[in-house]
Amino acid sequence: MSQVFPKSANAWSKASVLAIVFVLLSVGWVVLTIQRSDFVTSANQFVEQPVQFSHQHHAGGIGIDCRYCHTSVEISPSAGIPPTKTCINCHSQIWSTSPYLEPVRASFRDDKPLNWVRVHDLPDFVYFNHSIHVTKGVGCETCHGRVDKMPLMIQKASLQMEWCLDCHRDPSRYVRPRDQITTMGYQPAVAQAELGPRLVKEYKIAGLEHMTSCSVCHR
Amino acid sequence: MAYRWGMAVDIDKCTGCEACVTACHAENNIPTVGAGQASRGRAMHWIRVERYYEGSFPDVRLKFRPVLCQQCDNAPCEAVCPTYAAHQNEDGLNAQVYNRCIGTRYCANACTYNVRFFNFFNPEWPKPLHLQLNPDVSIREVGVMEKCTFCVQRIKAAKTEATAAQRELVDGALQPACAQACPTTAIIFGDLNDPESRVARLARSPRGTKLLEDLGAEPKITYLQKQPWHEPDAY
Repeated sequence: MSQVFPKSANAWSKASVLAIVFVLLSVGWVVLTIQRSDFVTSANQFVEQPVQFSHQHHAGGIGIDCRYCHTSVEISPSAGIPPTKTCINCHSQIWSTSPYLEPVRASFRDDKPLNWVRVHDLPDFVYFNHSIHVTKGVGCETCHGRVDKMPLMIQKASLQMEWCLDCHRDPSRYVRPRDQITTMGYQPAVAQAELGPRLVKEYKIAGLEHMTSCSVCHR
Repeated sequence: MAYRWGMAVDIDKCTGCEACVTACHAENNIPTVGAGQASRGRAMHWIRVERYYEGSFPDVRLKFRPVLCQQCDNAPCEAVCPTYAAHQNEDGLNAQVYNRCIGTRYCANACTYNVRFFNFFNPEWPKPLHLQLNPDVSIREVGVMEKCTFCVQRIKAAKTEATAAQRELVDGALQPACAQACPTTAIIFGDLNDPESRVARLARSPRGTKLLEDLGAEPKITYLQKQPWHEPDAY
């Protein structure tokens, strides 16, 4: 009786062991890549709004401070969406007949709020507080990106937990002076490696144990 | 200085009105499960008022004891959790991370005080009841353990506000829903690390006992009463 396996089967069996490992690793890599992709995190995607409001024009071009509209960012968990009245403050005078702004005027006339679509949407089991981040020296730009260069608002960061933890593990890389919170395109006056640890100390930013404890954000 | 949240419950003051139970349900989005599930032991009450009858008819005395998570220092529930969803946070609270919980229910079995509850179903709030939900508290999904948090959302809010304003928390400025609702102020909440806080003084009171103290879970809730428990002759 002849042999069932030819001699080359030895080489094939060894190669297949390697191939299995390679396939498993590739599958793992593909899964992790998809899970971090913009497709899953919905980062860098434009969202259709009732009025295509341009942050680039208002914050970048005209130079309106973030806090003119997002009034509660320093005192409340939510930065706040401005009421239509805030738009009308200016737009009763300028572009007051533009057809483009008709939804805004209709909203003001009928006393019905505009239904802005939330761009930065966190899961419901995580609680983010704007006031504490702003107080501790985390600038708008650090999380929201260059808003002054966004014709339409997009979510710049992945908003995944590893992204939060990146800063929570070592905030000294990102903190800035409080008077520079709303500055876009901020450049530290001295090297961040020197300024960061000093601000962490000055603003009494909590240590690693507190900042990475589950119950800081989850409850 | 770090906080260490604790509670003192004055049993002599408790009238058994269950306002604390109602307040807790409203504050913490606790679902009701209906009579059928409740009869199978699946009712969820983060705080319950236990009734103890002492003496024999007609000379019967009824005593009440509100029982909630004792926030043990040496918590049996935490040691058994395979995912660290049940863990001690820096304020000494037995925190439950809902999104980490995989529903093994080990913690509920280990808990000495029966104050951990399992979501056997996705909770439902038929319209318009969904409008009463507290946005500061997570809705727990099916397959997740839940328990009293000492109203951690209020603690967090008060701490954040104090930190942002760069000041210390004042004793009594912060209380959980049960303490706030109690008409006889039987429930006192505060920081045990501050020796002058109301709760720390009450915890040192000779009237104080801990629930099932012998088991060594080191609960942070002190029950105050004139006479020791289970001594009906003393009356």
